[in-house]
Amino acid sequence: MSVLRPFKATDMFKFNNINLDIWTETYGIGFYLSYLSRWPDLCSVQEAPSGRMMGYVIGKAEGSSTEWHGHVTAITVAPEYRRLGLARKMMRLLELVSDEIYKGFFVDLYVRCANDLAINMYEGMGYSVYRRVREYYGSMGVGKGSRDEEDAFDMRKPLSRDLGRRSVRANGRDIIVSAHDVS
Amino acid sequence: MSVAALDRQIKPIYDALDTNSNKSAIVACNKLLKKHPKNQLIKALKALALVRSQKVEESLILCDEVLDAKPTDDAVLSAMMHVLRGLGRHMPDKDMVTMFEEAYKQQPLNEELGAQTFFANVRAGLWKAAQQIATKMHRQFQEDRYLYWSVISAVLQANDVTTPPSMRAILYKLAHRLMTSSPTPSYQNTDRFHLHLSILRELELYDDAHKLLDSDVGKAICSTSLSCNEIRRDIWRLRGLILEEGKLAEARIVDQNDRNWLEFLSILDATFSYLNPSGNSAEASSTPENARLECIAHVARTQELFTRIAQEDGVKDRSAALGLLELEKRARTHKISTDSGRLVTLMQQYFDQIGEKACCFEDLKPYLADLQGEELLKWMSYLESIPSSFTTSKDLRRLINSHKSSRYTLSQSDLTVESETARVTLYLQQYFEGLKLGSNLPVTELQYADDLALLAANVLVNLWKLTSQEQYLLHAVTLLEFALKKSNQSFQSRLILIRLYRLLGAPSLALDHYRLMGIKQTADYLVRAFNGEKYSQIPEFVIFEDRLDSSLQRDIVKMEHLRMRLTHEPITSDIIDMELIELKFIFDRNHHDNRDFEIFANYQPRISDSINAQTSLFGRNESHGWLWSFLKLYIRAFQQGSDLDDTVEEKLLIGDRPKKTHDADKRPPLRERLIQQSEKDLAEVLNQPYLRRTSHRLNIYLQLTQDELLFVNFAGALAEWLEPYHDYTRPPPAVVLAEAAKQTELKTGHPLKGVDLAALNRASSPVKKDEEPPAVTEPPELVTKFFDCEQHRYLMDSVVFILIFSALKARFLEVQRNASPIEALHVATLGQEVRMKPLDLQGKSVDELKGFASLHC
Repeated sequence: MSVLRPFKATDMFKFNNINLDIWTETYGIGFYLSYLSRWPDLCSVQEAPSGRMMGYVIGKAEGSSTEWHGHVTAITVAPEYRRLGLARKMMRLLELVSDEIYKGFFVDLYVRCANDLAINMYEGMGYSVYRRVREYYGSMGVGKGSRDEEDAFDMRKPLSRDLGRRSVRANGRDIIVSAHDVS
Repeated sequence: MSVAALDRQIKPIYDALDTNSNKSAIVACNKLLKKHPKNQLIKALKALALVRSQKVEESLILCDEVLDAKPTDDAVLSAMMHVLRGLGRHMPDKDMVTMFEEAYKQQPLNEELGAQTFFANVRAGLWKAAQQIATKMHRQFQEDRYLYWSVISAVLQANDVTTPPSMRAILYKLAHRLMTSSPTPSYQNTDRFHLHLSILRELELYDDAHKLLDSDVGKAICSTSLSCNEIRRDIWRLRGLILEEGKLAEARIVDQNDRNWLEFLSILDATFSYLNPSGNSAEASSTPENARLECIAHVARTQELFTRIAQEDGVKDRSAALGLLELEKRARTHKISTDSGRLVTLMQQYFDQIGEKACCFEDLKPYLADLQGEELLKWMSYLESIPSSFTTSKDLRRLINSHKSSRYTLSQSDLTVESETARVTLYLQQYFEGLKLGSNLPVTELQYADDLALLAANVLVNLWKLTSQEQYLLHAVTLLEFALKKSNQSFQSRLILIRLYRLLGAPSLALDHYRLMGIKQTADYLVRAFNGEKYSQIPEFVIFEDRLDSSLQRDIVKMEHLRMRLTHEPITSDIIDMELIELKFIFDRNHHDNRDFEIFANYQPRISDSINAQTSLFGRNESHGWLWSFLKLYIRAFQQGSDLDDTVEEKLLIGDRPKKTHDADKRPPLRERLIQQSEKDLAEVLNQPYLRRTSHRLNIYLQLTQDELLFVNFAGALAEWLEPYHDYTRPPPAVVLAEAAKQTELKTGHPLKGVDLAALNRASSPVKKDEEPPAVTEPPELVTKFFDCEQHRYLMDSVVFILIFSALKARFLEVQRNASPIEALHVATLGQEVRMKPLDLQGKSVDELKGFASLHC
């Protein structure tokens, strides 16, 4: 049980239990504010009835013509609230808003190639690998020099506007681009 | 020279500024200024390079020259924005606003200038002016968004601390009137719609809001916008449509598989609305008995619904299962529960199903809180049936949840040294066992058994509290250090560890530092939100900025830093003057405590203090009361050491001043507030009924330690005693101002504006006055008896020092015998502060003190 509600600026005073986690990229406050000032409807939090923050998602809308899409910039759930399906609920909302409000063609996200758990989860939600981005996470991967730590999969899920499912492809894992080629 | 040629020559200045080569930027400006002495852009750029090189006075002169010329050129204006910010003149100071307003006045058809003027007011929080400019822009340029800018500016003005409450409704009505004058309906844009609804809600125009929301467009918006739906839910509740809201929620849960807990709460509220007098439900029942019966029937229906969904969802989603627990809890509160064993049965069912999830204990906590007697026994015996051996991480989590739950309901008699020791042993043994399960986890993962180490650490801290034996803290430290070796990313272990090191006197500033958030550019995002018409976020941004601006934690750190600075740096009159001004600002602030103490992994029983309270330094939470006491102490000391009085300060001060709240005039004057007794402040706190229960709890809210309290009282008495002499020796304001102007002129070659230098000549000696010096009086007992050292009566000029040193030494030797050095450090710190106490009354003052003293003897 969790409350799904809009992300507010003052939530930044109490999301420590989420942001102290290693997997969570901790951005500067300006980063969050810039998302809230532009795409507030693509940002949401999950909160326990006690008021404790459980997780949040921040996203944006970008791209031109048929590349116009919703993007998941960060999605994270505090360690004690994992495996409860919270990420799925937040993703569902982001997809809905990307589809109905922004009229995007697809939603996409980046994930470490080594993060099998997350990749499986996203595949379960209807995402598939569109391309592999080399050294997306820099060469500072936590593992020991493994390619999969520093490369990212760009995963996509088509929305209702993409009738021909042109935003996805079957052989995405074999399409390799460099980090400079993606925005 | 052509414009293009000049542009070409200015470009290197921009490049130099971009790379922070301020010196070469200044050189380049000077060269160009020889040929173009009147060029405002070059002047503005030079002012920018100067302010970045800390040459504030020189920059100010150029800045004023450019401002006086009332520039309208885009490049000049944007360079000046940076200059003014660098000079700290961008906040409530009106320079930026004035600059843009002057420019806009000259070019009223320039839409960009209009917008910049609006934003300048937004940045400065001047909502009234912002509202007027937006209205003017709307009339001129006929764009809808300017109308909405003016609407939200009125709303922000209504919410502002400077606005008296009586004006609030008037401003909201203004916002409403502007809103209805819009040629296009608000629902064309989600954020405009949100703004419209929030105004209707504030004005209690619920029917209007309902009509908008009940339309097809309204419904469509709410289905995708969480923020609009939030207001919708509110309005349904305020209109008493609680049953209807319950039905809507049911439809969302059943038809759309929505599992937002808010929907479940709506159903629960509807279920009990018959018994809630404020619920003025449309189908209000005739008699209380009827209401009871209707409610019982509704409870049965809700129970059926939740049971069905809980079965469907299983472990996939726990909302309905918890809904059943909440339903039973509320039924009990209303005394309509029919089955007294049901709550514990539901808890058991919940634990059976969700026990393998890390959040299970936290989910159950609200229902554990009131468990007593028979029920408690039943629950505890259920927990004992949870197997203590495990082969999977799920089993382990279940076991951990059972430990947390049973520990939570322990009674005082269960918390003996023996039983707590036995618990540590058990948790540790299971912890080591549990580590084996995670031996193959990557280093970035948390160990499954981490919470057992945290549980053991909680118990060890409690043992320390029970026995005052530090060995338990050392055990806890060893354990947590080990746990961090195994689970490097366990921030929960790290947080408690930092607290323990602090208690043991091992200096660690990590905790204090990690929470520091120093940013100042919120206003820029505010402007962005206006540009993108994201009105739903704007009021929150303003609140966020205010909470950052008035951060209690930041000012506590500031105070602590000042205390360190004064004991380790030579004290100059500059330091005293600057700090005095800043402390006075801080003193007037309404502080927000943004610290998050909820984050600690607290597994202490419901009857004892939390781990946060247990591990606070000296058992005290440094908070408003502490800051208040030390601010008063230092402001009084600095006031006596400074030549600046309020009139001088007003004239000399450049930069931001804090906003004045609407009731600022009603506050007693600073002087009165400064001498308010700290005991009285504390007494106010003590009068809170919830604090009276135990003296142990009292200590936590008394924010000063005994040693600090003595020091504060001593400093107060000392200040009281010396004040007349310091007031007498302070040079007249005109002389101080003239001296400051002279110094500025020596530094920059330009005098300060509006200061009469003649005052310096008129006063042959700045110290002498016409009036008689105040009579010399005996020092008060609090000063001479500080630290109970009555027997030492030395010559006056050394009395303060020697008394304190001998007394301090005794106190220091006393606390030094403690095992932990932390109290000795605390006394030593205060001792150093006492030592510099007379010194911080400024060099000159020490001589005076001696003078008075020798007179006296």
